[in-house]
Amino acid sequence: MRRPALDAAVSFEAVSKWFRRKDRLVHALSRVSLDVRQSEFVSLIGPSGCGKSTMLRLAGGLLEPDHGSVVVNNQSPAEARRQKRYGFVPQHPALLPWRTVRRNVSLLSDVNRRQDNPGMSTDDQLAMLDDIGLTPFLDSLPRELSGGLQQRVSIARAFALGAPVLLMDEPFSALDEITRADMRYLLLHLWGQIGSTVLFVTHSIPEAVVLSDRVAVLGSRPGRITQVIDVSLPRPRHAEVEDSDDYHHVLAEVRAALRQGWSS
Amino acid sequence: MPRRPVRRAALLVAPFAGLTAFFVGWEIYVVVRNLRPLTLPLPSDVIIHVVENPGFYSRNGLVTIQEAFWGFWIAFFAALFVATWMAHSQFVERATMPVIVLMQSTPVAVLVPIFLLWFGFSPWPKILTAMLFAWVPFVANALIGLRSIDSETYELLRSVNASRWEIYWRLRIPHSLPYLFAAGRICVGLALVGAVVGEFFNSREGLGNAARVAQSRLLVEQLWGSVFVLAFIGVAFVLLLIAVERRVLRWHSSQDGDHRSL
Repeated sequence: MRRPALDAAVSFEAVSKWFRRKDRLVHALSRVSLDVRQSEFVSLIGPSGCGKSTMLRLAGGLLEPDHGSVVVNNQSPAEARRQKRYGFVPQHPALLPWRTVRRNVSLLSDVNRRQDNPGMSTDDQLAMLDDIGLTPFLDSLPRELSGGLQQRVSIARAFALGAPVLLMDEPFSALDEITRADMRYLLLHLWGQIGSTVLFVTHSIPEAVVLSDRVAVLGSRPGRITQVIDVSLPRPRHAEVEDSDDYHHVLAEVRAALRQGWSS
Repeated sequence: MPRRPVRRAALLVAPFAGLTAFFVGWEIYVVVRNLRPLTLPLPSDVIIHVVENPGFYSRNGLVTIQEAFWGFWIAFFAALFVATWMAHSQFVERATMPVIVLMQSTPVAVLVPIFLLWFGFSPWPKILTAMLFAWVPFVANALIGLRSIDSETYELLRSVNASRWEIYWRLRIPHSLPYLFAAGRICVGLALVGAVVGEFFNSREGLGNAARVAQSRLLVEQLWGSVFVLAFIGVAFVLLLIAVERRVLRWHSSQDGDHRSL
């Protein structure tokens, strides 16, 4: 039996998951195993319906596996959730429209206050918001912001919790290509300062390669990991990395792995 | 750009222009057709009558406002309580829905004599009638508001183990506010109607009673005066509600300049 790596922050061990859709059972994940190390950035990429988001929700304790186990920093996901060990970034910004930017960023710290994770101090939050250009919008309401700025707030909200594990579910998918490219480097900038472990779901190969230490490629029906590709591009990464031969080499490797997963 | 202030002023004046056109049209119609006051009085005569009897209308108006006020708020809190239960349990929703439909399809007016038997000549039969008139729109809208929260925001709060109470207080309640305000606009009028219906059956005071007495004694100006004052109270409270709504819901898309109207 496979043992999780000793320094694993998130460990999937032969995880399977089924969903009931009307009268039939859908096999969403089949015996998936993956160790994500401390402070590692791992992307999950694959076709629609291959179980990427399901893996994220299993890691976050929002779903229970039907078979196998998930361990997060030596705890069950449910226990980690109770202790506010996750910063979650959904596909859409999911900002509370009645809260200002400042109060949206502090939202996750404001709830479940019984736990010992109070999140960043207010001063640290303000410094982070200043760092990513949100100071002029602190007292703005979400509807007064562009889509890109809203997603910026959503990411800041996850980091403001100071959680050791960040779960990101296609956070840039609704953005235009130019904003999306900016957001990658903004995310890397914040992550470089805080160094959380990140599990990042995406459909975009360039995004996965620019951001990640490793890319887990998933195949579908049922969802499974077909290949895990190391991205050995040097850090810190800036936009110029996308001009390098190494980048294009990894890009081709991920593309080939996806194609292979699709055909198998 | 130069047209903007003009447009804003026009929008401010529009309700008054509409009301003036309505009353002037009415006045002209009565004069041209030479109608008897018993058939349709001149609105100017009714307004003069009301202005000449401020004590009578304010005393009776206050009684009706109090009954409608309590009926409105009891309906609001009762509806929120029931809708909260329904939003959290499908069983409770299924069990409660037939009762709500039953209450909705029963003409509330026929219940007033029963309330009279229960509570006698107190304000309660009228408050209960006002409450029953306003209750159903509040329940229906509160339920939609509490239920239709964004699934990703819900998941986000669950990811930090937010309690049911926190999700209710921080997400469901603010999310249902636009629905509750929409219901509130309807229910202001309904609560007033309820209070007046209650007064028709049993009362020695209130605008409903004033209208009933005026009708039996053919006091046309008092009858129409009661109607005018009731309409004025309804409009005043709806405008008050809209003012509160604009402050409370400034985050909501319904408050965007171009989409906003009475």
